[in-house]
Amino acid sequence: MAQLRRLTGESLAFVRGIPRGAWQRTTIQDRLLILVVFALGGAVTTVLGLAIFGPPIVGFLGANIPLVRFFVAVTVILLITVPTAFVIIYLELKVIARMNLRIGPNRVGPWGTAMSVIHGLKVLAKEDFAPTGADITVFTLAPVVTYLASAMTLLVIPFAPGLFGQDFNIGLLFLFSMGGLTVLGLLMAGWSSFNKYSLLGGLRSAAQIISYEIPLTLSVVGVILLAGTMSLNHIVAAQSGSALDWFAFKQPLALLIFFIAATAEANRTPFDMTEADSEIVAGFATEYSGMRFGFFFFAEYVNVFIVSALATTIFFGGWTAPFDWPWPTTLNFFNPFALGFFGWAGIVLAVAFFGTQFLALLVRLFGGREWTWGNSTGLGFLLLFVVAAALAGLAGFIAFEPIRGLTWFMAKTYFFVFVFIWMRATLPRVRVDQLMGFAWKWLLPASLLNLFLTATAVVIVHG
Amino acid sequence: MPTRKSAPDPSSEGGRTPCGEPHPGEPSPAEPQQFGSAHDVSSASFASTDDPRIMLDREVGGLFDPIPPYPPQTERESEFYTLGDGEMFLNLGPHHPATHGVLRLVLKLSGEQIVDVDPVLGYLHRGVEKICENSDYYHVIDQVDPLEYISSLFQEWAAVLSFEKLMDVDVPPRAEYIRVLSGELLRIASHTLFQGFLALDLGGLAPILYSFIERDEIVEMLAALTGARMLFNYFRIGGVNGDLNHEFMSRLGDWMSRAASQTEANAALLNENEIFVRRTRGVGVLDRATALRFGVTGGNLRASGVPFDVRRAHPYSVYPDLEFNVPTREEGDSLARYLIRVDEVRESIRIIDQCLHNMPDGPIMAKLPRLLRPRPGRAWGAVEGPRGMLGVYAISDGSDQPFRFRIHDPSFVNLATVPTLLPGNLLADTMAIIASLDPVMGGIDK
Amino acid sequence: MDRNLKARLEARLNGYLRVPIYQRQDQTEIRVDPGNVPDVLRIVHDAVDLRFEILADLAGVDTGEVMQVVYHLWSPMSSDWLRIIADGISREDPRAPSATFLWQGAEWLEREAYDMFGIIFEGNRDLRRIFMPPDYTSFPLRKDFLLPDDAARSPGAGVRHVERTHLPADLADNLDAAVRRAPAS
Repeated sequence: MAQLRRLTGESLAFVRGIPRGAWQRTTIQDRLLILVVFALGGAVTTVLGLAIFGPPIVGFLGANIPLVRFFVAVTVILLITVPTAFVIIYLELKVIARMNLRIGPNRVGPWGTAMSVIHGLKVLAKEDFAPTGADITVFTLAPVVTYLASAMTLLVIPFAPGLFGQDFNIGLLFLFSMGGLTVLGLLMAGWSSFNKYSLLGGLRSAAQIISYEIPLTLSVVGVILLAGTMSLNHIVAAQSGSALDWFAFKQPLALLIFFIAATAEANRTPFDMTEADSEIVAGFATEYSGMRFGFFFFAEYVNVFIVSALATTIFFGGWTAPFDWPWPTTLNFFNPFALGFFGWAGIVLAVAFFGTQFLALLVRLFGGREWTWGNSTGLGFLLLFVVAAALAGLAGFIAFEPIRGLTWFMAKTYFFVFVFIWMRATLPRVRVDQLMGFAWKWLLPASLLNLFLTATAVVIVHG
Repeated sequence: MPTRKSAPDPSSEGGRTPCGEPHPGEPSPAEPQQFGSAHDVSSASFASTDDPRIMLDREVGGLFDPIPPYPPQTERESEFYTLGDGEMFLNLGPHHPATHGVLRLVLKLSGEQIVDVDPVLGYLHRGVEKICENSDYYHVIDQVDPLEYISSLFQEWAAVLSFEKLMDVDVPPRAEYIRVLSGELLRIASHTLFQGFLALDLGGLAPILYSFIERDEIVEMLAALTGARMLFNYFRIGGVNGDLNHEFMSRLGDWMSRAASQTEANAALLNENEIFVRRTRGVGVLDRATALRFGVTGGNLRASGVPFDVRRAHPYSVYPDLEFNVPTREEGDSLARYLIRVDEVRESIRIIDQCLHNMPDGPIMAKLPRLLRPRPGRAWGAVEGPRGMLGVYAISDGSDQPFRFRIHDPSFVNLATVPTLLPGNLLADTMAIIASLDPVMGGIDK
Repeated sequence: MDRNLKARLEARLNGYLRVPIYQRQDQTEIRVDPGNVPDVLRIVHDAVDLRFEILADLAGVDTGEVMQVVYHLWSPMSSDWLRIIADGISREDPRAPSATFLWQGAEWLEREAYDMFGIIFEGNRDLRRIFMPPDYTSFPLRKDFLLPDDAARSPGAGVRHVERTHLPADLADNLDAAVRRAPAS
């Protein structure tokens, strides 16, 4: 605070006519007066500005809806990376713990769910440190590049019908080019850290990602041939129907190659060469601390999400349901406005009272002797909210296609996230030469073979 | 006599090198100029730029290279610290996640390939031999405990064995059986932990935690027997400290009922893992002749095809009465060293089973005076620890303290093969090789 | 006790033995001159009826009057440990031949003996300190290196300082110059 005051005093001193330290000499009343004047001035300016410039701005935005959509999408995507990373970090902690016969985080929040938030806070609170000899500019830019490259890939992923950032007709190309940018950030980090472990990690990541980029891209070409498009929305639409229409069953080899290469692309076990902790300490991230490290950390888990989402989108039908949806998909059996305010209020109150009592009764029945009347009523009231939320979700699931699509999409994606975590808990790490050999000797020929077979089949069927 | 010093000593006259005079037999030390060439080579490639960062590198680069700040003392050292074309030093340790304590390896790398390696020891050195020479015979036992802290009973056993030879003590058979029983339990714990650490160094997370479950059960039952979890201080000259008790026996019975199947399950976790097998097969091959030349003992030697096990080669305690095999393998690579340990766990379970069946009644301590003053003499006692032969050479001068107490630690000689095994392998194999040699730095540094 | 081994050793090592072969429990002990150690080691390692091919241990010993280097060997042909004591090494200028020509693993064991006793093994290519820091000047396991709390063994002298208990011969003359460095002006 003292520093802030000093800063204010000094900056005011530059303004001609105001003596140095003028703000300190003002009384409370003076300050209030100044604030009121400024607030009034601001309000008047805003109103006038809106009156004059408002209509043109609104008109411009109205005329350029895609631009608005783009900015909103970018903002939303940057915002959802954080909770996504938090959820996956928590899942990883917990799932690996269970697989290792441990309990995992269980202290912060219910079942330790706030653990990754605490991780984030810890990372924020740490000292932002750059080692002697580091190239500060590159050192600072590297996590930003990595993080943005990961986050930008989310832009083209169709989460649900109508719920996507942008529908490029070159969506897949955009994805792979952005994924390739990640290596730039890792290489920058490795080089600028002025540490041999970092350098080894950076070079490893460059070699690895460039090698696996090729089979990764080639494996998807078969899907592109079948779907006839590179737009992810259209690829999903091409798989609508039942689970049998998914490309996973038409392109099993491509799925296998894609999954292996994507694991390497996301630097996940068993291909986590770049940060092999038992070999090169932490690889490119050895010298990073604080939020710079946090960005790498976020990028890693966002990458896991992206890779899973890609596998879902390209091979497992994206947001489409795995079977034909047999039930009515709208809730139009009564008019919600017919009841009026008092009707709704009566229903809500009645449901709240009887629902609470019913749930409290259940609690007392199954909870045993220690549940008194008051306790069980309180718990019943809480449970009522849970039940109501579940019912509302179910209604949304049935009534709104985006919610239904998002649910299916997330279910499939988090299944793959679980598989990645499972692999991390189980498998040792391959060696760096085995890794490269596998990419060039096995995956690349296999993906070429797959491409050849697919093309032949397409020619035979269509031509 | 020649002295070796780091800093230029004001007492030494001007023209002498700080290394001291070269003497016959030892190669003359290299010139200091040649030593400095390591810096020159590394910064020569940047010579023609004036990027401030590269200038900085030239200034502080030497600080980041693990080159010792004194002239080389031997030919080998000066050869090692001279960089060739395209080579760099990498300082691995003493605080590196995968060096099993405070081992420090200075690696000379060409890319990721290891050209040469210079292990630097002594970070845990506390002069335990000197401490033992200044303690009486009873106190030696708890001084040697922290050496092999993973399996400290064996270090006690070696000390006790050599003292018993020094004093001609006859140990009661029940005490011997209890020693074998607790020792084999600890061998299983150590080998199980070895499997976990090997997998951990290769990047596998799960096996180490499964290993610790097994180890914790064994350590808990030994705590019921001896009163401590790691540093037991249980063996005594002429016997053991306490008899078998109910809690130990019940825990042991519970564990034995599932030990064999659990061992197989833990082993299968790695044996059937293709990545693990590919990471270890053919890596760090120690052939039979090299192993013998290095004096390697224990599982590392048996993995190279030499069936040397002190329990059979030079029997002590009641091992002649027990039935067990000495597993050997011919390959001598990291995988063979791992599989030998798995086999030995199976044999140890057999031995424990026999101990429980044959356990005699009787006293657990021989009758000994309070103050031990053995007659002047010398004795060498060696036992087979989980890492190899643990030997103690004790000399008595007739007083109540050992005159000389020499500890031979298997990890020390096993680690001496690292400069031979590592060159030519990749950086990632360093972990596979060192972990498969299973060193314990407490024993190495004494 | 392996009587047969004693006979074989006497036959093979005739002329090298300083004192008669001594056998006790499961150990057979021979004493040789330090200069003869390479020959003796070569014989016991190579002879078809001895084949002591595992070097169990190599230890330095300071008896107070002389230094010794003690080798423990194991052979599949015998039930005894063979102990070879290279006896009578001068304490002032302790030198012994290296065993690295037979057992490469002796390199580190000899480094340890050098570090602890100052015994110089001629022929060891890498004889430098292994545990103690390289600028250390004393040899801790020598008998004249007394621990600060070891009042029992320092006759009447009480507690003496660790670093000054052993001084190399050439430093003993101008002790003050060695201990008191030049003033840092």
